[in-house]
Amino acid sequence: MKLRTTKIVLLALLASSPALAQDRLRMSTTTSTENSGLLKVLLPPFEKQCNCHVDVISVGTGKALKLGETGDVDVVLVHARKLEDKFVADGYGLNRRDVMYNDFVIIGPASDPAHVKGTKTSAEAFKRIADSKSTFISRGDESGTHQKEKEIWAEAGVTPQGNWYRSAGQGMGEVITMATEQRAYTLSDRGTYNAFRHGKTDLAVVFEGEKGLFNPYGVIAVNPKKFPHAKYDLAMKFVDFITGPEGQKIIANYKVEGDPIFFVYK
Amino acid sequence: MRVPFYQLAGIEAHYHDKIALMVDELALRGGQLNVVAGLNGSGKSTLLNVLAFLMQPTQGVVKFSGKRVRWDRAQLRELRQSVTLVHQDPFLFRGSVASNVSYGAKARGISGYALQERVRESLELVGLSGFEARNANGLSGGEARRVVLARALACDPEVILLDEPLAYVDELSTRIIESLLVALVHRGVLVVVSSHDPTLGLRLNARTIRLRQGRLIQDSEPQEMYAAKSPENSVYAIL
Amino acid sequence: MGSFTQSVGTAFSLIFSADREVYAAVWTSVSTAAWSTVIASLFGLPIGMAIGLSDFPLKRLAVILLNSLMAMPTVVLGLLIFGLLSRQGVLGGLGLLFTPKAIIVGQSLLAIPIIANYALSAVRAADARILPTALTLGASTVQSFNQLTNEIRFGIMAAVIAGFGRVISEVGVAMMLGGNIRWYTRTMTTAIALETSKGEFAFGLALGIVLMLISFSINVGLSSMQEEHQP
Repeated sequence: MKLRTTKIVLLALLASSPALAQDRLRMSTTTSTENSGLLKVLLPPFEKQCNCHVDVISVGTGKALKLGETGDVDVVLVHARKLEDKFVADGYGLNRRDVMYNDFVIIGPASDPAHVKGTKTSAEAFKRIADSKSTFISRGDESGTHQKEKEIWAEAGVTPQGNWYRSAGQGMGEVITMATEQRAYTLSDRGTYNAFRHGKTDLAVVFEGEKGLFNPYGVIAVNPKKFPHAKYDLAMKFVDFITGPEGQKIIANYKVEGDPIFFVYK
Repeated sequence: MRVPFYQLAGIEAHYHDKIALMVDELALRGGQLNVVAGLNGSGKSTLLNVLAFLMQPTQGVVKFSGKRVRWDRAQLRELRQSVTLVHQDPFLFRGSVASNVSYGAKARGISGYALQERVRESLELVGLSGFEARNANGLSGGEARRVVLARALACDPEVILLDEPLAYVDELSTRIIESLLVALVHRGVLVVVSSHDPTLGLRLNARTIRLRQGRLIQDSEPQEMYAAKSPENSVYAIL
Repeated sequence: MGSFTQSVGTAFSLIFSADREVYAAVWTSVSTAAWSTVIASLFGLPIGMAIGLSDFPLKRLAVILLNSLMAMPTVVLGLLIFGLLSRQGVLGGLGLLFTPKAIIVGQSLLAIPIIANYALSAVRAADARILPTALTLGASTVQSFNQLTNEIRFGIMAAVIAGFGRVISEVGVAMMLGGNIRWYTRTMTTAIALETSKGEFAFGLALGIVLMLISFSINVGLSSMQEEHQP
């Protein structure tokens, strides 16, 4: 009878209720950080040490910080210095520390129709793209990458608009895929590009190396004074781990298909 | 003379905006076979639904066994324990014949061996012994009608109302049903049967109440009257 | 599509290789969907049946409202519940956000209108003689409604199946309220979204195939429960 089957189903469900025996640390980070795959190697040693679980919620930069502002996470790992500073200044976070860095690169079709290769500055590169009306895909989501992109346009004295400029409103991976399909240029962090380089995109790096394209990552613990339930001690343990010798070694040694993704400060 | 089971006064029932039933005065006594005769649309079903306490008339007073019917849920549930209606095109619940026949008895709290016996006896009364395990879905028209009748009998009610029980029924089933109705009346049950067959009342020696367009136009008593129903004279004492 | 056959192959190797991560995602999908369907049925079936059986002045409006709620975009519902469950929100103190329980809350709310709507239809299509027959045999109101539910079992089961289908396949609520946390709130659908964002289309498709196979198997089971009770 249906009643018997219902009982069996309910018993199975009760067995499925997740046990929350261990301590859980909640961290918000950006999709590019998660997609780089670093956390898969960085977190397990820490989890073993502290006998805890780190719950990673990867979203856009804006949302990652917002989760810190609402106290929905205990620690934030992002790469948007100006926004990070504001986050601390507004009292949402304590103890911001540098963790690692990589850089931004301009990628585009290997044929380089806008002749970006050989330009001296990123601003000049962008100006050439605008002048030739070559398709450019923007993150369009107020992420760290998007902020950097806007800075470069400002420096180039260009307001990008027109059919050639497409604001995607999505993460880095999706944008690289879009740029690949549409034979377009875009600004990407090197980590995500390297992850895509082998088989998922045929776009090439057309500009790199400028000081202004420096992309630093910061980790911030959520302020316990503002959010008493935030796991501050555990968060600080995490911060100490990833900025300490063991964590830094893991970060420096992390490679995807032989390419390093992140660099540590010496 | 016993208190009549039903006393209807000033009854009016509407269907949408039309008058479906209008009866100034009607009394029905236990131990009597009543035929409500009339054409389709004359108000027969409406009258039966009122007597079954399934439909509240828009106007008028209904008294059952001396008590006035207030038409509130609690009283209705109690009243319906004494009265059962067999619909014109009756509905069999999904499942076995036994689960159907036992439905009313179960609702009255009968269970276990007593319930089994009640089902067996009811099926025997309608000539369907051994049909307990049969699926209600696969029965012939006549068999289905008899199962529905068995289901009503299993309630052991004081009043049985039947809406056109003999319409489109085969000859064997007709004979069984007619003799069963007469037997019931002998035991003191109040039986009301609606029919468009004007000769039914004569054949069964019943009081005939004739309706036309919702109004009572004729009321002829039968030649004989039967004893009123009492507990020792339960339907099952027939066997 | 060459990558499709590749995906089919990957799908089967995932199932048979007992990939722990995939199994974890499958388990999360199935258990949250199951809980949500049960909870949604407890609310949706009575609501749908009650509306179907009763007559009240705003009945037509209620039915239209129910119909419209079925088309609620999952992301919108996710957003609304997010606002409630966030620490800043009214129910923030419960700490439910980014746990499987939050997904269950969201998915239950998603499924209730669907189940209610199907139950409403089942009741409407039910034979009008069922209730009067039960009542005239001496049943109480509760008993007669139970009998009605019994008689429209097929339609009721269809409601439950529809509700389950909706929640196991959705991604908006699971992503918003669960956060796609590895091992914890990552469902099949959020995993697919993640793989897609990483450009791993073939793998994402493979996960999709696994999800469809599981969904199919569960529906076979549920449907057999329907058939069992057919006359």
